[in-house]
Amino acid sequence: MEFNLENPLTNFNDSHSNAFTSLFLAESEHMPAENYFQSLKSKDFDISVRRETISIISQLSCNFDPLLSYLAVNYLDRFLSSQGMLQPKPWILRLLAISCVSLAAKMKGTEFSLFDFQGDGGFIFDTQTIERMEVLILGALKWRMRSITPFSFISYFISLFKLKDPSLKQAIKARATEIIFKAQNEIKLLKFRPSIIAASALLSAAHELLPLQYPCFRKATSNCSYVNKENLLQCYNAMQDIVIDGYESVLDMASSSVTPVNVLDQQFSSTESEKTNGTITSSSTSRSDRDIKRRRIIGYCDNPTVQISRIQQC
Amino acid sequence: MEKYEKLEKVGEGTYGKVYKAKDKESGEVVALKKTRLEMDEEGVPPTALREVSLLQMLSQSLYVVRLLCVEHSLNKHGKPLLYLVFEYLETDLKKFIDSHRKCANPRPLPPSLVQSFLYQLCKGVAHCHSHGVLHRDLKPQNLLVDKDRGILKIADLGLGRAFTVPLKSYTHEIVTLWYRAPEVLLGSTHYSTAVDIWSVGCIFAEMARRQALFPGDSEFQQLLHIFRLLGTPTEKQWGGVTTLRDWHAYPQWEAQNLARAVPSLGPDGVDLLSKMLKYDPAERISAKAALDHPYFDSLDKSQF
Repeated sequence: MEFNLENPLTNFNDSHSNAFTSLFLAESEHMPAENYFQSLKSKDFDISVRRETISIISQLSCNFDPLLSYLAVNYLDRFLSSQGMLQPKPWILRLLAISCVSLAAKMKGTEFSLFDFQGDGGFIFDTQTIERMEVLILGALKWRMRSITPFSFISYFISLFKLKDPSLKQAIKARATEIIFKAQNEIKLLKFRPSIIAASALLSAAHELLPLQYPCFRKATSNCSYVNKENLLQCYNAMQDIVIDGYESVLDMASSSVTPVNVLDQQFSSTESEKTNGTITSSSTSRSDRDIKRRRIIGYCDNPTVQISRIQQC
Repeated sequence: MEKYEKLEKVGEGTYGKVYKAKDKESGEVVALKKTRLEMDEEGVPPTALREVSLLQMLSQSLYVVRLLCVEHSLNKHGKPLLYLVFEYLETDLKKFIDSHRKCANPRPLPPSLVQSFLYQLCKGVAHCHSHGVLHRDLKPQNLLVDKDRGILKIADLGLGRAFTVPLKSYTHEIVTLWYRAPEVLLGSTHYSTAVDIWSVGCIFAEMARRQALFPGDSEFQQLLHIFRLLGTPTEKQWGGVTTLRDWHAYPQWEAQNLARAVPSLGPDGVDLLSKMLKYDPAERISAKAALDHPYFDSLDKSQF
């Protein structure tokens, strides 16, 4: 009964069952508190704690499915928003990052060992210390570890587009997935519900790939009774910056400083895992782009200090 | 766990002790279910993590007992414990049925209540199934009842894998077989949501009769009870039955008239029951379809 982010209810096949209703009803319990976005915005210090911890999470999970690090960052945001900020001591951030990754890996049924995570950052934690941190996170998250994320809503919203061509559907889904990964780093998008993020990402992808049909998709999405039109509009507009950034970064891989901690890029670091995770891999990205990305991410994993210093500049 | 004052032990659940307790601050009465957490080399065990979070998700239904919170603590020996804090309901369906049978004033359950309880049970089971979760041990003891409000909720859910399969409970009381589906009794290895529907059928009949439909005391006897009422299953009725692991040559019985086993049920009730007790799991009605059965036509569904 492993946890699948795209299908958090473990096993339902009919895409319009009332199971989606429960997802829409429960999603707000799986996102950071409302004031989290405000508090991140008002205090520069908080942003740096979040950034640094995300950067450690990215290093720790760079050899795994990118959804693993997405889930770990979801836990991190919910934890920080309920606990308030921690002291920014490097060992605390590292322990927090290890525990979030460890919990995410257990939920996803990913084979890993805590020992794999030790040593790199110059700190060694014993199992009990990590366990205590895990328990602290579980308590703060009320054991709601089956996070409802934007990925949970992709199949719902894409079905509203009524696309007949499976390869088009796949392309839109792949591009939306890229955008969702990027969106996690964008603090101004943290206040939106996962379903709104998913809908906006799909619309952004449709706007790029099928501009002629876009108005029709937009109408279908905003007519959905679960969607707050105003929020959708706000989120879609806010998302356009990163969508453009995303385009630039696809065009110009060398200038990678635009998105400091790019969780998305990890998916290309683990090209080996493509066979297990074919749905994630973008079919719209060309081979050479992938290679550039992979080189970049490998360098990133090998040399975390360089990356962190880059983050601090931003 | 200082937050709660233990009032009394209310049971030995399959997975550990259950206490009635009071939240010292709010005065709210809760059920505390204590489970040992076997920590391993890798911190909090993945199975416990997945199952508890699943429970957390399922308990959003009105027809599933609500998990209020999860508390982690240590016992006297420093071993980790997990307290699952549930809403407290005063009684369960077994006690409720008994109270209509073994008392100074024995009387049937009101037919409208049987109908309402069955509807709520099907709602809860449909909810679990839509989340991909099988209960696998539905029985009247696991259905909690608020008799003043006429509410029924499913309890003891979902911990199947994390806390090992129940063969014997902590008190060595043998786990009841009365509600177990024939495919499970015959050793089928991959079973489905239909196993829960069989149990629902048995519980439905028991509410109508005030006694169990198939009270077997061993797996073999359990099968014979079923076969005597419903007839010994044939390959024609249930393709593949004779190839199941524990299939033997059984005495050949003809099916009896089901209506006679549940005299208090009308034709619609008997029809629904017969659809829940189909031998072939693939032919058994689903919980969702059961909700639309004519048996419930006279029920005011707006209250649910």
